Amino acid sequence: MTRQRHGHVLTLAGHEYRSAARSGVLVLLVLSMVLVAAGSITIASYDFRAQVADYNAYVQQAKAAGATLTAAPQFFPLQLLRGVIEYIQIIGAVLAIGLGYLSVARERTGRTLPLILTRPVRTRELVLGRLLGAGALIGTILVATAAISIVVIGTVGGRWLSGAELTKLALAFAIGIVYMLLFYALGTWLSARSKVVANGLVVALVIWLSVVLIIPQIGDTMDPDNQVPGGLFAALQVQKPDEKKVLAHFATYERVRNGLEETSLTKHYERLTFAITGVKDKYNGASLGSIAHAKRADIESIVLYMALLSGLMWFALRRENSTRTET
Amino acid sequence: MTVAFMNAIELENLTQRYGDATVLHGIDLTVGQGEIFGFLGHNGAGKTTTIHVLTTLIPASSGTARVCELDVVEERLEVQRTIGYLPENVRLYDSLTAAENLRFFARLSGVEDVPRAIDEALGILDCRELADKRVGTFSKGMRQRIGIAQAILHRPKVLFLDEPTSGLDPMGVRQLRETIVRLNAELGITIFMNTHLLSEVARVCTTIGVLAEGELIYQDSLAQKRFPDEASLEDIYVRLEDR
Repeated sequence: MTRQRHGHVLTLAGHEYRSAARSGVLVLLVLSMVLVAAGSITIASYDFRAQVADYNAYVQQAKAAGATLTAAPQFFPLQLLRGVIEYIQIIGAVLAIGLGYLSVARERTGRTLPLILTRPVRTRELVLGRLLGAGALIGTILVATAAISIVVIGTVGGRWLSGAELTKLALAFAIGIVYMLLFYALGTWLSARSKVVANGLVVALVIWLSVVLIIPQIGDTMDPDNQVPGGLFAALQVQKPDEKKVLAHFATYERVRNGLEETSLTKHYERLTFAITGVKDKYNGASLGSIAHAKRADIESIVLYMALLSGLMWFALRRENSTRTET
Repeated sequence: MTVAFMNAIELENLTQRYGDATVLHGIDLTVGQGEIFGFLGHNGAGKTTTIHVLTTLIPASSGTARVCELDVVEERLEVQRTIGYLPENVRLYDSLTAAENLRFFARLSGVEDVPRAIDEALGILDCRELADKRVGTFSKGMRQRIGIAQAILHRPKVLFLDEPTSGLDPMGVRQLRETIVRLNAELGITIFMNTHLLSEVARVCTTIGVLAEGELIYQDSLAQKRFPDEASLEDIYVRLEDR
């Protein structure tokens, strides 16, 4: 019986993948994500190569002049992924909502959900199968994006990633799959709940706008350190311990600002992946264990969102909701 | 293991409410094994709701519904292995071929030899040539045949058809009628069919039930009409509806 249940989940997952692939949606999504990622990473890689070249030129000149070399600057190629991570945050979330919407629209127009639900299939198998299939779809998109990123960093940036860096990159993209899956679940839930499936898409996009753009933007704007390009405290040459002392006077303000950011799934994803890839300087060179410890709250929030959205998706795909047809 | 049963479908005091609206008012209905049952009634009479309860899509508000002596709520998974279902105006997955559509539903039904089941289903419906063509290119009649094929892949004991002739041309209606009779005669499948077409009911069905505003107002074998003076099924229907 368990084997049959696994069989149902895999059948549903394979079907979800095949339907999207056959309709051309997958190719479109892979191309759009790879193109924007390639553009971003190419520009960042050129800049990276220029910085390395500048340093090498300085070393040669210093050696020729017999001068003492200053300490070599640290170059972190994973920081070049910043733009790609931001594209996953913004564009990836929209693509995932679109995938969820298309999945429901396909069942509604084909009137096939009642055919599935009159088979000996449990709702949780249906939800799991769909999430697995969508995970494979999103995985295909992000594996292609990761591959192009690695190649561009190596060829244009002139620095091939080490084993440890590749592990961190893989982890960051794996979290990207989870992040996009959450938006897929949101798109599926709202589309399945709506009498007219397109209405669900509109509501999902409004939520996307709030979660991905508006809330993080408000949080960033309220951040005192963001008032000056390059950072207010850096511009004032205030050291980190003094910065903390200053901010201690604005504890309530900071709590409100941080609380606002905490409501945004996107912010949790950003904080976690920026730490893993070292886009946030202070996590460069840190072990994954220490990053996981420092970012425990973000990990817990993502897990909480997963539970919530899977539950809502389960609710939306129950057999009582299967008799709706698209008008 | 084969279970012997006398009645394919039994409804006892079946009531269905949506909020304040009562759609089915305590229906009692029995359909014998091997029958072709025609369920007649106007739009909104509650025919599709009855099928949704019997096919396990919605739980009844009260009363019981049994298929092959299995309770549709308590023994849902067993009921689902016993029934086939074709909803009204089913389109299936446009981007997949007929065989891919059937493979998907066969696997969900737990069919062991999937290629064989697909081949047999397409053979019964005389449409093997459609197997490798995309469903998106099919006419309504072709879709309907593949729709029935998906419903009989696992050799159900009872087949539910919701307005199966809706949107079909006269040739399609004739083919469907022949198919229904063949499924019943050759495979021994009990057929429960919602329809508006009295002519089809008269030609195909062995028993009928008439539903009006959620109440079953008539049920009988067509061979033993309670209205012996009636000239046609249409007369019975009109008289019942006028009550």
